[in-house]
Amino acid sequence: MASIQLKNIVKRYGAFVGVQNMTLDIADEEFLVLLGPSGCGKTTTMRMIAGLEEPTDGEIIIGGEVVNEIDARDRDVAMVFQGYALYPNMSIYENIRFPLRMRGIPASEHDARIRKAAEMVELGSFLDRKPGALSGGQRQRAALARAVVRQPQVFLMDEPLSNLDAKLRQSMRVQIKHMQRQLKVTTVYVTHDQIEAMTLADRIVIMNKGAIQQVGTPDEIYSDPANTFVAGFIGSPPMNLIEGNAQNGRFTAPGVSVPCPAHVRGSVTLGIRPEDCRVGGDHVQGQVYGVEPTGDVTYLTVLAGTKKIEVKAARDYRSEIDVPIGIAFDPAHLYFFDESGQRIRGAE
Amino acid sequence: MAKPRKTRGESLVLRYAVLGTWALICLLPILWFLSIGFRPRTEVITPEPIYFPTFSLDAWHLLVSDWPIAQYLRNSIIAVAGSVVIDLILAIPAAYALSRYEFKGREDIGFYILSTRMMAPAIVAVPIFFLFKTVGLLDSVWALMLIYAAINLSLVTWIIRSYMLDIPKELEDAARTDGASDLRILWEIIIPACLPGIITAAVIAAIFAINEFLFTLLIASTANAYTMSVALANFTGGSDGIIYNAIALVSFIAFVPILILVILIQKHLSRGLTMGAVKG
Repeated sequence: MASIQLKNIVKRYGAFVGVQNMTLDIADEEFLVLLGPSGCGKTTTMRMIAGLEEPTDGEIIIGGEVVNEIDARDRDVAMVFQGYALYPNMSIYENIRFPLRMRGIPASEHDARIRKAAEMVELGSFLDRKPGALSGGQRQRAALARAVVRQPQVFLMDEPLSNLDAKLRQSMRVQIKHMQRQLKVTTVYVTHDQIEAMTLADRIVIMNKGAIQQVGTPDEIYSDPANTFVAGFIGSPPMNLIEGNAQNGRFTAPGVSVPCPAHVRGSVTLGIRPEDCRVGGDHVQGQVYGVEPTGDVTYLTVLAGTKKIEVKAARDYRSEIDVPIGIAFDPAHLYFFDESGQRIRGAE
Repeated sequence: MAKPRKTRGESLVLRYAVLGTWALICLLPILWFLSIGFRPRTEVITPEPIYFPTFSLDAWHLLVSDWPIAQYLRNSIIAVAGSVVIDLILAIPAAYALSRYEFKGREDIGFYILSTRMMAPAIVAVPIFFLFKTVGLLDSVWALMLIYAAINLSLVTWIIRSYMLDIPKELEDAARTDGASDLRILWEIIIPACLPGIITAAVIAAIFAINEFLFTLLIASTANAYTMSVALANFTGGSDGIIYNAIALVSFIAFVPILILVILIQKHLSRGLTMGAVKG
């Protein structure tokens, strides 16, 4: 068990900056998720913690020890990969045993530990199979067992669920979270899937273009986004971001007119989540662009000027397209961002 | 009006007919020298066509009594097997380095290794002869082993490298975080994962080595080092003239091991050959 500190980590590939000046404290036993679009530097960050890549600059500290100069194989870190990375020539039993052998753990302990790890991921009856004879979900569970078997200080998981289908992903998610709570191992988890991030994380780190955009609990990230990037990245469908003008306590954009705090002025972006919009009202005057019933909720898209606004409507809401419609925004849940995309805070 | 459509059965028959004819054309020379090998010498050189050839073991008896054919075969096997072992010992680490490590001039070194293959063997024949003469290895199986290994090393390295490039990098990353050293990774992960490639490369090298003629002729001067490929040439001259049926039989004996090897790796052979030759 260990905490992790990243101090001013920089990773450059020639002129390209993969990670820029990243500082982050990860607490002991924390489940931290690095979230961002592909190419944002989240996997690079994780690989640097693993020791598979060297930072160009900065310090990585695991359990109080600077590990920059320590080779991956001597860091007490276990990693789960997107493509499972099971050794194809070995049985599942041998796969799980591999880290025990490599780390010189006495052979007498192997069998019990392997079986315990396999039980934990419900893979006990597949131990003598080769990875090729398992399904995707079983392979990923085997990879998890291989990671937990040696009780490392840190778990690193690089998009471990992205090769699985949606249903399996959900059940694996719960299993991973349960396991992490049970083992109390500090975990860094990389994903581009915000649902995974929201459901798994103690804290989420949102990254874009190699830089941290916001660090916070899932609730903070959702209800208090620091900038338009975070606002637009989290939520499904994401927050509506409407560019317009604010003056004299009123925000206007084509088809949109909403009261706003007096200190919000000039060219700003209004953010409103689909669930904070209501059919009926006069903040938005537009036409119905599309209606998508999903069963428990109906998504309504309204065209205001040239901007499409997503609204979470009642489950039984139905409409033809091009019908004029009015939408009301919940004034308590309006977010305003300045021209650079940063949140305008203050007397809201 | 619709054209009468061919049934599945008809097109299958056609397919087999075409492939069968082609197979027969390919097999004919082999069947032919097999038939020559088991006919009396007089019958082989007669100008009249013979429809019902006589079966005879003359050539076989001649080989066994007058020629140390077992020795030739043993020389071939020792030289070829030894050269393949040398190749693998050198090529596997080289291929691993070329496929995985980042270092300056990696591509150039890779290409240089392959370029040794592009040289016409005759160019180095004379220097090689003097080299082996100087170190006292003329007319020795060990010299042949070294020569075969040198000839095939580039190809073997290149084929194994292409297989190693296909192994996902993740596998090595996983092994590294699991605590394995480079050597362990090579031995426990990489080699098993590209075993088909290694076997393919070994078989291809063996086939080239078995067929090698020029350098063998140069180095070998007695039965000490004669291999099957050079022994063949011995039946074409001397006071007995050209002994066609013996040549045919020796050809067949030399051909069988290659045939077995090719059948063994049929699945991988075309990939090994094209990768080694074409892919950069």
